[in-house]
Amino acid sequence: MSEATRKRVLNHLDYVGLLQPAIHTETHAPSPDEVTNDQYRAYTRPSHDIGGERDVSIQWEEKEEEIWEHNTFVTCEVLAWRGVWNAEERRRRQNVDVGQTQYLGLPYYGRWLLTAALILVDKQFVTLTELHEKIDEVSKRYE
Amino acid sequence: MSKPHYDLEHHVKKATGIGDPQCFKGEAGDPRFKVGDKVKIRDLPDVFYTRTQAYTRGCEATVVRLVYETPPAEDEAWDNTENVEWMYSLLFKQKDLWPEYADAFSQDTLETEIPEHWLEPA
Repeated sequence: MSEATRKRVLNHLDYVGLLQPAIHTETHAPSPDEVTNDQYRAYTRPSHDIGGERDVSIQWEEKEEEIWEHNTFVTCEVLAWRGVWNAEERRRRQNVDVGQTQYLGLPYYGRWLLTAALILVDKQFVTLTELHEKIDEVSKRYE
Repeated sequence: MSKPHYDLEHHVKKATGIGDPQCFKGEAGDPRFKVGDKVKIRDLPDVFYTRTQAYTRGCEATVVRLVYETPPAEDEAWDNTENVEWMYSLLFKQKDLWPEYADAFSQDTLETEIPEHWLEPA
């Protein structure tokens, strides 16, 4: 066993439990010496690595998948078949690149859907202007 | 700035009709560890991405199975598939992972898969 590493790991797991999507104090671009090693490690960790964090229990609810969720899944699989991404890049984008606030704050397939849109912009299949205009066009159908 | 060119077919060509990770079989070379070996999880950086759980760092485990060959998640997440590694299924004692784990359940274990570059001999 690496005692020093284990101590750091357990300390880290205790610390990241304090990071929740909430406004506690103002932290606007702190000076470098205002960021502790613990904070840096917590801020930059992959947000999906939650094993061992302290948390309260949550209610288990059985929920059937909705049509938009199935459509989102199929869209993401088709993007893989077309070579736009592989499964690991998809997971990286929807579970880690989104950051902790979105990871914990958005529904599961909401993250899939946002990520499918972003990969198309990132790899220049559509421009962000085109995407914004399309979202606006579709939104107006429901006004 | 010019637009990058993405090869949209290389993974499809490699995996179609074979499957992934089966399409990487034979590319990892000789495994560094064998079933029964004691290993320790390295304390590597995890900035940007990893799937090696933070709670395993520095902990010892036993190799129970060589599962398959694949690029490690850190590489495949950016579609870098040149460096293929063995994935090991590792058995941890729960008491080693969690200091507060009850003595009454001291025989409990946890099994998880971790790529070779995260491991060193215990």
